[in-house]
Formats: sequence, C-alpha cells, structure tokens
Amino acid sequence: MNFKKYNMQKVTGIALFAAVLITAPSCKKSFLDEPRQAATPAVQFWKTQDDATKAVNAMYANLREWKNIAFAPIAIESVPSDDAEKGSSVNDASFFNNFDNYTASSTDGQIADFWAGQYQTINFANQVLDNVPNISMDANLKNRYLAEAKFIRAYAYFRLVRAFGDVPLRLNVPKDATEYNLPRTPKAQVWAAVEQDLTDAAATLPQSYGAADAGRITKGAALALHAKVAMYQQKWADVLALTNQVMGLGYSLFPNYEQLFRTNNENNSESVFEIQSDLVPGNGDASNSQYSQVQGVRGSNGGGWGFNVPTQDLANAYEAGDPRRDATIIFRGETTPEGDAIPATGDNPMYNQKSYVPFSMWVSGFNEGVQQNIRVIRYADVLLMNAEAANETGNSAQAIASLELVRARARAGNAAILPKVTTTDKAALQAAIWKERRVEFAMEFDRYFDVIRQGRGTAVFGPKGWKAGKNEVWPVPQAEIDLSAGVLTQNPGY
Amino acid sequence: MKRIYTISGLLLLFTFFSTFALAQNIIVKGKVTDAKTGEPLVGVSVGIQGTTTGTQTDVNGAFSVNAASNATLQVSYIGYTTQSVAVNGQTSIAILLQPSSTQLDQVVVVGYGTQRKLDVTGSVASVKGEEISKQASVNPVSALQGKVAGVQITNSGAPGASPEIKIRGTGTIYGNTNVLYVVDGVWYDDISFLAPSDIENISILKDASSTAIYGIRAANGVVLVSTKRGKTGTATVNYNGYAGWQTVTNQVKMANATEYATAINELAVSNGGAPLFTDVNSYGTGTNWYQQVLRDAFVTNHNVSINGGTEKSKYNFSIGMLDQDGNVKGNNYKRYTARLTNDYTPFSAIKLGYNVSGLYSKSNDIPNSIFRQLYAAGPVLPVYYADGSYGDPNDYNLGGGNNFNPQATLDFYNQRSQNYRFTGNAYAEVNFLKHFKIRTSFGGDIGQAEVRNYTPVYTATLAQRNNLSVLSVNRTETRNWIWENTLTYENTFAKDHRLTVLLGHTAQRYKSYNFNASAQNVPYSNGDADLYLSLGNTTGRNVTDGGSLNTALSYFARVNYAFKDRYLLNASIRQDGASQFYGNNVWGYFPSVGAGWVISKEPFMANQTVFDNLKLRASWGKVGNSGVPFNPTTLSVTQAAYLTAIFGGSPYTGASVNSVVPPTIFWERGVGTDIGLEAGVLNNRLTFELDYYNRKTQQAIFAIPILSSVGTGSGSIVGNQADFVNKGVEFSATWRGTVNSNFSYTIGGNVGYNKNKVLSTVTGANPIYAGGGGLANGALSTRTVLGSPIGEFYGYKVAGIFQTAAEVASSAQASSAKPGDFKYVDQNGDNIIDGKDRISLGDPNPKYTFGLNTSFNYKSFDLAIDAQGVAGVSIYNANIAYRFGNENFSKDFYDHRWTGANSTNTYPSVNVGSTTNSAPNSFYVESGAYVRIRNIQLGYTLPTALAKKAAMQKVRFFANAQNPISFFKYRGFSPEIGGAPTNAGIDNSVYPLYATYNFGVNVTF
Repeated sequence: MNFKKYNMQKVTGIALFAAVLITAPSCKKSFLDEPRQAATPAVQFWKTQDDATKAVNAMYANLREWKNIAFAPIAIESVPSDDAEKGSSVNDASFFNNFDNYTASSTDGQIADFWAGQYQTINFANQVLDNVPNISMDANLKNRYLAEAKFIRAYAYFRLVRAFGDVPLRLNVPKDATEYNLPRTPKAQVWAAVEQDLTDAAATLPQSYGAADAGRITKGAALALHAKVAMYQQKWADVLALTNQVMGLGYSLFPNYEQLFRTNNENNSESVFEIQSDLVPGNGDASNSQYSQVQGVRGSNGGGWGFNVPTQDLANAYEAGDPRRDATIIFRGETTPEGDAIPATGDNPMYNQKSYVPFSMWVSGFNEGVQQNIRVIRYADVLLMNAEAANETGNSAQAIASLELVRARARAGNAAILPKVTTTDKAALQAAIWKERRVEFAMEFDRYFDVIRQGRGTAVFGPKGWKAGKNEVWPVPQAEIDLSAGVLTQNPGY
Repeated sequence: MKRIYTISGLLLLFTFFSTFALAQNIIVKGKVTDAKTGEPLVGVSVGIQGTTTGTQTDVNGAFSVNAASNATLQVSYIGYTTQSVAVNGQTSIAILLQPSSTQLDQVVVVGYGTQRKLDVTGSVASVKGEEISKQASVNPVSALQGKVAGVQITNSGAPGASPEIKIRGTGTIYGNTNVLYVVDGVWYDDISFLAPSDIENISILKDASSTAIYGIRAANGVVLVSTKRGKTGTATVNYNGYAGWQTVTNQVKMANATEYATAINELAVSNGGAPLFTDVNSYGTGTNWYQQVLRDAFVTNHNVSINGGTEKSKYNFSIGMLDQDGNVKGNNYKRYTARLTNDYTPFSAIKLGYNVSGLYSKSNDIPNSIFRQLYAAGPVLPVYYADGSYGDPNDYNLGGGNNFNPQATLDFYNQRSQNYRFTGNAYAEVNFLKHFKIRTSFGGDIGQAEVRNYTPVYTATLAQRNNLSVLSVNRTETRNWIWENTLTYENTFAKDHRLTVLLGHTAQRYKSYNFNASAQNVPYSNGDADLYLSLGNTTGRNVTDGGSLNTALSYFARVNYAFKDRYLLNASIRQDGASQFYGNNVWGYFPSVGAGWVISKEPFMANQTVFDNLKLRASWGKVGNSGVPFNPTTLSVTQAAYLTAIFGGSPYTGASVNSVVPPTIFWERGVGTDIGLEAGVLNNRLTFELDYYNRKTQQAIFAIPILSSVGTGSGSIVGNQADFVNKGVEFSATWRGTVNSNFSYTIGGNVGYNKNKVLSTVTGANPIYAGGGGLANGALSTRTVLGSPIGEFYGYKVAGIFQTAAEVASSAQASSAKPGDFKYVDQNGDNIIDGKDRISLGDPNPKYTFGLNTSFNYKSFDLAIDAQGVAGVSIYNANIAYRFGNENFSKDFYDHRWTGANSTNTYPSVNVGSTTNSAPNSFYVESGAYVRIRNIQLGYTLPTALAKKAAMQKVRFFANAQNPISFFKYRGFSPEIGGAPTNAGIDNSVYPLYATYNFGVNVTF
C-alpha cells in the first residue's frame, strides 16, 4: 500500500511537471513574432542614398524588359507601319499579322503587354519620385535622380498616349486600393503632365556624364523628347525652340551611318537617349534584353528569331544609291560588313540591320545580341524635328540647313547621291522632311505613329486596311476593362 | 497570457479532483485482452451487475474496480461479445473477450485519440492498411482513389510525384491547398516518404467538427495515418515484393508527316505565305515522336519488415526499395525507405517510444518541356539523318515554335535529383490516478533535396546547341518540429455516463532554406566526379537563396460524452496563433460541436429486426487555414538580377518596390455542418452511410489580378477575397456476403455529389479572372463570380464556323475573322463581338465522384476489382490552340478540320491558334467525366501445410493491374487535370495516362 502510494505520488509529480512544461513555450512571447525571411520590408528601404541609387537603377533596368522592347513594341509600334512586317517563319506568331492589317482586337496579348509594360515603367519612376524626396542625401544627386525619373515617366506616357489616346494618369504610387482603379484622363491633360515632367527634368539634368555614367538621361534627352511630344501636338514654335536648344548642346552626327548601330559605337556623339544593355557574365537575368534576338537573322548560329523584318516597300523608298538602304536592311545572301554570311535561302528576304549584332559576339546560354543598346532618340531626329518645325513656322532656310546635315552624313562624301534639298515650297519641303524621316529612322519604331501624327494614316496605310477614326489608336486591353468594372472605356470602333 | 494561466489552472484542478477520487479502495484488478490476438483492449467497459458502478480498462487493458466478492462483472466492448464474469473472491482476473462477428463496431482513429465508430458524431472514413498495400501503389494516397465518398484524388503521371487530394470540394485556393496529414502525431504536407506497406490504418476526417481539433491547418481536411507498430509475440518477418511494368494508355494520336505537311501548308497559305512543303506525300508517315521516346517502364518494389516484442518492449522495423522507370526513356526514380518503431512499457503506468523514418530517393530526371515537345514536334523531321546527325527543324523551316528535336532534348539533358528525409517522433505517456493520461510527443522532420543540372557543350541542331557548359545546383533544406502535449481524462460514471476530456497544447516551427548556385565551363572529363562548381570559371558564378520560417502555437480542449451509448455529445475548441498573421489577427478560435443518437439502442427498437444499427448524427465546426504566405501585409523590396542597371558598360544593383499588399489580412475560416445517417441491416451484412454537408469557406485568402495600370510586376494582390460554399451529399454502402465457408465477398460503393458556389467576392459583382498562363495569347479563361462555381470556364460560345468570305463580311466579326474561323454568338445582340459576349462555359469542379470496390474470396483465391470515376465536370483543352507556329495537330483535329466552304461547321481551320480562334471559347471546353477500372488484383494463398513445409506461415502470390482501362470522351491525354482552384481543369500538360501491371508475392515467416 505504501509502495503504491509512493508510486502514485511519483506519477502525480511527473504529471505536474509535465503540466508546467506544457505552458513553458507560451511564456516565450516572441515565439510567434518571426520576421519575414529573405525580404527587406519596404519601410526599411528609402532611408539612404544607396537605396535611392538602387531604385533609380531598377528604373533604368526595367526599360529593357521584354514588354518594353520586344514583341509588344514590334506589334504596337513597328509592324503596323509600311516599313516592317511580321517576318520569322510564316506560321510563327501569326498574331503579328493582326497588327499589320489592323484586325487586332482588345484581347490580343501584345496590347495587354504594351499597356502593362509602360505602367511598370511608370511605377518604377513613381517609386523614386514619391520616396526619394524624403531621403536625406546629397541634394544635387537627389535632384538629378528625381529629374531622371521624371524623364522616364514622361517617356512611358508618351508611348501610351501615342498607342491608346486617353490613358489613366498615375503620377503617384497608389496609397491603397481606392487609388488602383483610375479612369482614362483626356489625352491633352496627359500631354500637359508629360510636358511638365520634361520641363522639370531639363531644368535639372546635366548636359553630359562621365564615362562611368554613360547611358543616363541628359538635359538634351529631356529637351529632345519634349520636342517630340510637342511635335505630336503640332506645337511647332515649341518644337523649334526646344530643338534649337538641343542643337546648342554639342551633339554631332556620327560620321558612319552603318557603324552608328554597332555595339562598339554605343553612346556616341549622336546618342541622345539610348537604353543600355549588356552581357553580364554568368548572369542571364541581368543580361535580359531580347531586343536584338527577336529581330535577329533566322537560321544562323548567333542570329535570332527573325521577327520585324523590312518590307519591299521600305527597300524601294530609298533614293538611288542611298547607303542607308544597305545599312538598314540585311539582304538574304549578303555578307555583312562584319563578315557574317547570311544564308541565301531562308524564310525572309530581309532583316533589320539596325538591331544586328555580329554573330561572333553571341555567347552560348545568353540571348543573341544582348550587348545591343536600343537607340531611342538620335541627334538626327532632333535635326529633322528642327527642320520640320522651321518649315512649319516659315523658316525654310533653317529647315533646309537642318535637313541637309542629315542628308550630308548619309551621303558620306559621295556627291553623286542624295542631292541637297533646296525647295522652299512649304508643302514640298514638308514632304521631303517626312520622306527623310522615313529612311533615316526606318526600323527604329518611329514610322507608324509618325505617319499618323502627320495625318496621312489613310493615304499611307489605307491599302493595308487602316481606317481613319479608328486606327489612330489601339484598343484598350480587354482584361484591363474587365478588371476596372466599367471604369475604363474602349476606344471607338473596337 | 491570461489564457495560459486558465489552462494551467484547469490542469491542476483536474489533478486535485482525481486525487480525491483515489481515496477509495480497490478490490478487483484485472486485464482484458482479445481472445484471438492477445492484444490488450483499451476502454472496455467493466460494470458490476445490478449496480451503477463501473470502470473502463486503461491503455494496457487493465482495470480495477471496487466490488463485492460475490459480484458479477459485466464486461462489454464494442466489436466484442459481452461477457459476464463472476468475481468469486478473486482480486485478479484475466478476461478474454471474443470478437463479435460484425465489423461495424470498429475503433476508428480520430484527432488526438481513438473512438469507437459508434461514438463518432462527425464524418470519418477509415481505410485499413492492407487495402492500401494490396494495390501495389507507389504512393499510399493514390491507393485511396475511389475508396471514400467525397474524396477526390488526382494522380500525376510523373514517377515520384504526389497525387492531389481534395476532400469535399475546394476548401482553400491559395498557398498550401494540401490536406493535413498527421502521421503518428506529426504533421506533414505530403506522405510520399511512407511505403504503403508500413501503414496500419488511414482515417479521413471529412467534416469540420472532426477536423476542428486541428484548427490551424484543418481547412482542407485531415488525413490521419497510423503506421504499423510492434505486437507482442515472437518475431514475424514479412516480405512483400512485386515487379511489373507501366505502359501508356489512351495515347492521343497525332497527324503523320504527310498530314502534318498538308496542314502546315494550309496554315501558311491562310497566313498569306507560300506553302512550306512542296510534295507532302514524299514524307510518308514520318517520325512518330511518341513511339521514339516513350517505352514500357519497369517497376520493382521490395519491402521487408520484422515485427515482435514482449509486454515491456515491442518493435517494428521495415525497409523498402522501389525502382521505378518513367515512361520516357532515361527517366528513373529509386526510393529507399527504412522505418523503426519501438514502444516500451517500463512500468504499467508509463509508456514511451519513438518511430523514425529515413528516406533516400534519387532520380534521373527528364525536362518538363518534353511532353509539350512530343506533342508539337513535326513528324516530317527524322530523328537522325542518314549520316547519324540529328534531324534539324531549321532545315525544314519549322520556325521558333518548333525548333527542337525531342530526341536531342533528352540526349543532352543531364539532371539528377536526390532527396534525403529523416522524420519521426518520440513520445511518453503516463497514466495516473486511474483516469488520467498525460502524453507528450516531439516530432521532427529534417529534409534535404538536391537537384543538379548539367548542360554540356554540344551541337545537335541549330537551336539546340551549347558552347559553354553550365552546372547548376539547387538545394532545399527543411527543418520542422512539432511538440504536442495532451492530458486525457476518461471515466464512466454510474455505468451509463461515459466521459472523455482532452486538453492539449502544441508548438510548431517550420523552416526551409533554398540555395541555388551555378558556374560556367565546368568540365565533364571525369563524369560526375567533375561536377563541382569550383571546377568552373571563377567569373560568372551565380548564387541566389531564399527561405521561410513559420511558427504556430495552439491550445485545445475537447469533451466526448455518451449516455447509455445512445446519446452522444462531442465538443471541442482550439485556439491557434500563427506567425503568418500580425497584430490583432494572430489568434484564431475554432470551436466544434457534434451530437449523435444511436436509435437502434433505444428500448423501443429492441424488438425490431430490421436495423442492427441505426444512428443519426449532426455536427458543426469551424476550422482555419494558416497555409498562406508569410504576412502578406508587409510590403517588401524586390532586389533581383533583372533590375541590374547598365551604365558605361558596367552592371549596378537595382532594387525597388514593384508590388502592392493588402492593408490587413485575417484568418481564412471554414465553417462546416454535417448531418449523417448510419445504418446496418440484415445482420449488418448491409451497412450504409448517408451524409449531407454544407461547408463554407469565409474570407478565403488568395491572389487576384489587379489592373496592370497599378504597374506592379506580378499584376496581382493577395488578400481575403471571397466566401464560397461546397454543399453536397455522400452515400456509401457495403454488402458483406458469406455464401459458405469457401466463398465470401464484399461489394462496396460510394458516390459523392458536391456543388461549389461563390457567395461573395471582394470585387462585388465583378468577376475575378484567372487561367491565363501561356494559353490563348494570355487571354483569361476562368472567372470566379458571385453565384457560380470557383474558377468556372468563361468565354465565347461558338455558333459554328465561317464558311465563306461573304458570311464573314456580313457578321459581327467582319474585321477580325476569316473563313474557317469560329463564329461566336453575339450574346447581347449589339452586332459587336467583344468581352460582353462571353458566358459561363463549364465547371472544372466535379459534381460527382464515385467508386466501386469489390473483393471476393474463394478457397485460396482472392480477387479484388475497384472502379472509380468522376462526372459533371468540364476540362479546358488548351492543347489544341496552344500554338505558336508549326506545332503538330492531333489526328482528330486533322481529320475534322475545316478545309473549305461547307466542309464542317464544328472544327475550325488549321489556323486554330490565331487570336480570334484561340480566344477562350466553348470548342475547347469538354466533358471531363471518366470511368476507370482502378485496380484488379488476383491472389492465391498457398495451403498452410505446404507453406509450413517451407518454414513459412503464409505465402500469397498475386497479379495486379492498375488503371488498365479508362473510359472517357475527352480528346486530350488524361481527364485527370487538377490545378490550383482558380486555374483548375486547364489541360496544357499532356502527361499521358499509364496502366501498371504487377506480379508479386507476400510471404510471412
């Protein structure tokens, strides 16, 4: 009996001990208070100059993202023009044909991608613009970062307005869900915001940077983009003033038109705004530009997918002997100046030479041509905008002078070709400038909207099915309209 | 903290309360065991005739009761024949109970304990281990398919992959949508580490009142697994082994080379180009890529176990080996398992033990893309040219969508995966003060998975080549533990009142770490011995990692009360805290209550002969789901390689915020009601069970798309987005027949009906769209909208095919369609085909699941045939229009395609991949109903005398066929699609179905 009692006491003791143990972990109040792993909370970001620098870097990096430089821009900004067509193998990605013949609908994936790509760019810029002002850091650098962000934001809205007309205008990071669903803002108001951003940017940005910062946005870029924005609104006096300003900044045309587009001549004296890309060894994610790959020569090792190819119409558009024709178009069967033999048989008679990177530069495991920067605004564009604005404002002498600078470079000393345009007839000069724009910027994603802003959509694209009153803009993506629960409206005709 | 003191106080109170009860004397001690097995019986009711006094046996089958020396003990236990035993002055009595013939009164495993089937007030299904191991399945879960009403299992074809299991429809949408597996008290997300032959029993807790005791992780249902433990007696050695092969069934027939060339030419012309192939007939039938790459795959499995022990110490040890080839050449999975269980009883009141499982698996992998490639590859392409080099799609101008030779893809793919897992638990149980039991159990799960991929330098075709080798290593480590403590009080008052009280506490921690590294230019001169990152270039190395850490703390209590075995009441409450939630939302409370009425035990039923058993039960419970990402309300910074800026030719690290988060997030809750009827008639030969349930998921957490104008990278936001309900009825019936001593049989059938409906969404009347990934040009093919099932298919209704240009020109699709394209129904009659014309096209959630399980025993032969299926379900066949260029067509599509005016009004032209035709529409939505012979097994057991001669107790040979025949109309490979709830039923995987045929032997020494 005693033994039993002793046993029972022992057992009871163990039970009580266990009861104490049960409550033990709960005394450690922090047990449930674990921080999230492997992630920096945003509230700990935006504190130092280094954070600001990283955010600005991310904003630049995003410019070469797939949606911003590959299929979506080809569909929205290039293939619908008379300069380019789908290319590749006949049945590959046949949705591009919907853009070539203007049957694209609001559910086409490239429309959604283009829209999303621009707003991602805007978000990266807005993050900088909303948060960097509160960081205590070098004041000059801070102002420059903010100015760079304003340019990037303006660039994205410029592309959006060209493509869609009225678009939601988002100038801040949304604070909460009530700010997610914005209606479309009239085009004029978006243009005003874009111009304000560019005015602010130009006031702050430096004319140039040291070699280590090559590729950053300059004052000249802000002025030039502003001029382009003004040109799309026919504000000719502004275009003239802005381009004159840029022409005083020391830019010059690169002497060799063909070499202008090679990787060893990146960020040259003609470069006004150039999206930077390079091969970072061992880092495929950082080497993510597919700009050159998607347009590269098909069927060649180190070439590419062969989309967005020049049309015969473009090849025919050059004046006799214009060297820009061969510099812009890779012809089937030719050997490039860099020594690449292009197969004489293959799907496409022509490829884009401006995105071309010599095959020998391809590194296995990386996108072909990842080294190629994307030339967005060249000084030649400033000159031709200047010419057009001068002509529109009655200054044909300046128009002819600016135009001649571009033609003279193309001529490269060969007096037998590309004679100087001398007409002072406004309409004839305008036609000459427009024609010059086509051949100078062919395959540079400028032509389609350039023709529309010239008011010649029906005349130039009509034979392909373009209809005035509808095709000036693309449809708003259907998924976006669905998500907006009716806040977003569709463009007429779609 | 307040609550913790309350619980501690309660514990002390119970301790004192029982101390007083102890003050009474003990007279008769005894032990109750099973007359057949000698196993002690737990919870046997020992009453004294003519009084209300009584007791119950403890875990060791022991009891002690205060009784007069001439009293008679009434010993009753469900499942056994009641016995009367005269005390006759004895102070120690051994009682052997004879099992009763009915199998109805089985004991079932429930959360934190066992209950007699009769006492259960919720819906719990039990499957015996032998039924699982009998199927010769590689994964124990797949053996459950068709066995239990309302349990839907979707198998994946990949060797080593775990099947998806859904209990009573879709419970949660996001994060961890797995059921909770509790193996001997330790919580897991999957049980692929268990060999089916190690399983003693599986209990499936279906209703919320049964699962509520697992509050935090109960939202998707709970599956309790008990593994085999040691049994008293001399050592028994078991060997189970089988060998067999698996072969692809229901292969989709593809167009041959001539047909392919014909179709591609049509496509080229339709796209405004010139035909690709000049003489289509010259290609003949071409390459059958499936035949080239698929094979009959061999599988062998061996399991050896040793089981035995004494009263004080028992053991069970098993080892297993599985070697399974995949149906794609080169694919192989090997698994080695070992499991050791020990139970000790050093004192009669103390029991302790442990079990440990070790798993090692390795596989030679195949690229996931291979099935897509086999489907797409052009049959005009030879595998090899006459000179032995690979057939190159570029030589046929097949384009970017088709720029691979699948054979080359496989030949230069070198990936090995290895998995190490060490898991188990240790426990101690103390019985004290007669009615109390305290148990503590600590379980751990240590895992390491490694994937090593090497791309050599090679040249196969223009697009398949590599001139710089790359080695990448991915290692994932998991370190989880769970500590559980429970206190159980069990007593019978005044003979008729049985009471069990459970108090418990759990602490858990889940940690995982993932590490990836790669290096270039790694040699392979010495084979795998060279596969070290350090042998590669020192520049261009890449390292990334990530991890997660979650903790949880829980308190729970449960009361089970039964009066006269007639009226049952169960109630529980659980409080859970999870580190995934923040601030005021850390803690969730999950109550449950259940009641049962055993009508057949009522006196007024005593004279009826129809029902041997009749029970009505009803329950209600609330469960939670913490299987969500860690605190999604914390906005975090994205710093990734793709945000690297380039200035002056040099890279600079970039980081920013490109996501949005919800302001708050609450526990997602499941609230379930279940009403059930159980009955047994004709001497319990026919038993059936009928359940109605209503299971609501409140504040479901998942990601929904947001406007891309917000500008985030993912385009989605996580939050509490929707309430939805699964309502259903389940019916199962079993007939057990014994014709004579030579022939007996069992036939069981079950059917479940489930209807899923969305009750509210955060977007109001506006649908939540999903289902875009990769198919239909990014168009979204599902929607989750008020009043409809989750993720219903959504798109245009096809009215027919445009036959002529004139018909197109006069239609609402004049600007976008061509002859041969789909003609969509203009639902709103505005003469424009746009988003407003889309309608619901089908429900990916099966309405009916059913199974038929039979077994026959005739003399030494046993035969089992199981069938299983689903109905009332739709599949989105994304394979048809998932085209980029010159992918191959199925033979079905080729034969039925539109080829010109009035050729057909159902199938479109070869231009099916165009934006117009690939838009989600009714053509792609097909019935996913199927009926399958799940398992056929024929066994023969050697006569005992013969076996004994060979020093064996039992020898059984068997042949087994799994999934030998499937019937379905679906035009894809397999109607078993699965997928995350808002993207479910979208088939773009094309993993073929296969049947497995095995021959095996079970030997007991």
